[in-house]
Amino acid sequence: MMAHCSTSSSLNPSNLFSHPTFRTKTLSIPRLCSLSSIRIPQSHCATNRSSLRRLPVVAGAVAVDSQASYTDEKEGKKLLLEVKDLTAVITESQQKILNGVNLTVYEGEVHAIMGKNGSGKSTFSKVLVGHPDYEVTGGTAIFKGQDLLEMDPEERSLSGIFMSFQSPVAIPGVSNADFLNMAYNARQRKLGLPELGPIEFFSHVYSKLDQVNMKMDFLNRNVNEGFSGGERKRNEILQLAVLGADLAILDEIDSGLDVDALQDVARAVNGLLTPNNSVLMITHYQRLLDFIKPAYIHIMENGRIVKTGDISLASFLEKEGYKGITAA
Amino acid sequence: APLPLQKLRDSSSETLLSLSWPTRKDEPYRFTDTSYIKSSEIQPITNPPQESDFSSVSEDTHLPNITIIDGYLVETLSGLSGLPEGVYVGSLSKLSSEGILKRLSEFVSNVEGDLFWSLNGVGAPDLIVVYVPEGCRVNAPLNLRYCSVKGSDVGSNTLPVSNPRVLMLVEKGGEVGIVEEFVGGDGNKCYWTNSVLEVIIGEGATFSHSYVQTQSLGAAHIKWTSIRQESASTYKLVEFSSGGKLSRHNLHVQQVGPDTVTELSTLHLSINDQTQDLHSSLILDHPRGYTNQLHKCIVGHPRGQAVFDGNVRVNRYAQQTDAGQLTRSLLLVPQATVNVKPNLQIIADDVKCSHGAAISDLEEDQLFYFQARGIDLETARKALIYSFGAEVIDRIPFAYVREKAKSHIAELLVPTVKSIA
Repeated sequence: MMAHCSTSSSLNPSNLFSHPTFRTKTLSIPRLCSLSSIRIPQSHCATNRSSLRRLPVVAGAVAVDSQASYTDEKEGKKLLLEVKDLTAVITESQQKILNGVNLTVYEGEVHAIMGKNGSGKSTFSKVLVGHPDYEVTGGTAIFKGQDLLEMDPEERSLSGIFMSFQSPVAIPGVSNADFLNMAYNARQRKLGLPELGPIEFFSHVYSKLDQVNMKMDFLNRNVNEGFSGGERKRNEILQLAVLGADLAILDEIDSGLDVDALQDVARAVNGLLTPNNSVLMITHYQRLLDFIKPAYIHIMENGRIVKTGDISLASFLEKEGYKGITAA
Repeated sequence: APLPLQKLRDSSSETLLSLSWPTRKDEPYRFTDTSYIKSSEIQPITNPPQESDFSSVSEDTHLPNITIIDGYLVETLSGLSGLPEGVYVGSLSKLSSEGILKRLSEFVSNVEGDLFWSLNGVGAPDLIVVYVPEGCRVNAPLNLRYCSVKGSDVGSNTLPVSNPRVLMLVEKGGEVGIVEEFVGGDGNKCYWTNSVLEVIIGEGATFSHSYVQTQSLGAAHIKWTSIRQESASTYKLVEFSSGGKLSRHNLHVQQVGPDTVTELSTLHLSINDQTQDLHSSLILDHPRGYTNQLHKCIVGHPRGQAVFDGNVRVNRYAQQTDAGQLTRSLLLVPQATVNVKPNLQIIADDVKCSHGAAISDLEEDQLFYFQARGIDLETARKALIYSFGAEVIDRIPFAYVREKAKSHIAELLVPTVKSIA
């Protein structure tokens, strides 16, 4: 499988067309307009399939090419996320941290981003979900045809992006069950479906516990309070299992896990994969990739993706280190 | 008047002579402005409530219960069925047992209070007695409902004052729980409740104390709780206070024997233009005491204030004391004020003591975690504020009191969360 992620930080159409994936498509209009200016009417934000099919009509109405890009298909798969030239700074210090990230993810694909500490991997995932510690200074991020950067964090979540936190925060006084119930009901509301009361929800979520190999009492404990590293990660995956997502961003889901726990978590993630949803893993280590197999590996350095390849890139990395990559 | 009451009045009148109204220059009132009371025309309530006053008292009660209106015990609104034999709950004047009377006389007004303590001693129309005999276990919690019926309108500058006073004696090995609930007045009715509860917990006895204060937002609420703990006794307090324009709780726990257990959990809410104040002092003079204090407050109004002065004194002979104290304050709006002064004074050298104080707004990280799971900011704030308080509320041992407190918090938070979200 070939890479389909541009390493350029400027919008150079020739660069895009040199890309095998894009060569199979005809991009009639140069993508130079600002994507962040596109607004989709709220009523079309619903995430059910039928309304998604209507999107091209909407796109036609606003007459912007980027809308058409959502209907872009690769081997029958729809474009899910398209990030272009994304730059960001740390809100407090205004220090530059993302320097033009480009990434495209289609439905059903598994991607991994690897890179050294401080290369911007985790920042990138946090920026995608709207973390307030970071401020986007340029570029675009389109998710299912919608401008992600214009959305509040909760809207991004409801539209189908889920990020598992590297170190999820503890919330004393709020039980796991209540927290999940709130999140589940927010989703149901968004979809116009009935909300579940605590008892109904309990039986709904009960079936998901097996998937992450967790016991019942897990639900009665406060969110991440007193949880071991492994329990925190499992809890993130439990949330993913209960809430579902079109794109799951797993930020170092493998850190702090022993092999058994890693296998549990990986099994759970694999169990959630369908032909339509996608995974973006952020990791340091190849061992995670032995359990969850990505089709694409991206190497991040200095706030941008500097190389994209298939799984062989990971083994190369394992042997040569990041130095080998940048020198190559 | 019966002897103990006369004794109380005499000693209180005497101490009053040497006391003056506290000012901001007096350390115990440095942060708490009592001018709301001082600048009002104070009208002592000198007549028992009339039947016409009863209509405003809710009938929603749990048994056994006594209802105290404006400082007077109202028997027709009280129900004491089901209490074990030998337990006495009622007016001192109706107490026929010479033995109990003699025991009570030993303890009346042994503790030094302050001006408000003495004013109560002079003004209390009656002494309400709770007596639990040796080895007696009272299963159902005893409800003490304090209702303030007489009140003036906002701006009238008058404060009818009531002085309820309860003396409680739990004899050796006895076990009892009480729920003190202070209510009264629709909306902003103005009155002053100046209340005193004095408790002696005998050797090995257990007293579980729930105190819920939801008086009107025009009320001044001054409350003294004075506890004397004999050896191996247990005292557990859970307080929830959200009412009053000016609310002050003076809590004094004196250890008079070794191996005591003391747990104090308090939650103060200043969601309106109001002051909530807890001044607690815990004095340990004997070995192997265990104490744990958790004080939490939430201030959600630019003119709202919370004050906490928590003193734990581990004196010379209180070796092997295990004392912990923690205070956490949540300030939800700019200009909300909290004055906290946690302090441990340790003279003994073989002790384990810890304390901590934290003042914060809601944690950004926690709020974002909710949002990242699709939960909007308003719901997230509400859940976090609620859970902050729940840590204390969940310690109330009686489910119906917990539920009441929780729904009260939820009600108070609706407009606040809306305005700050």
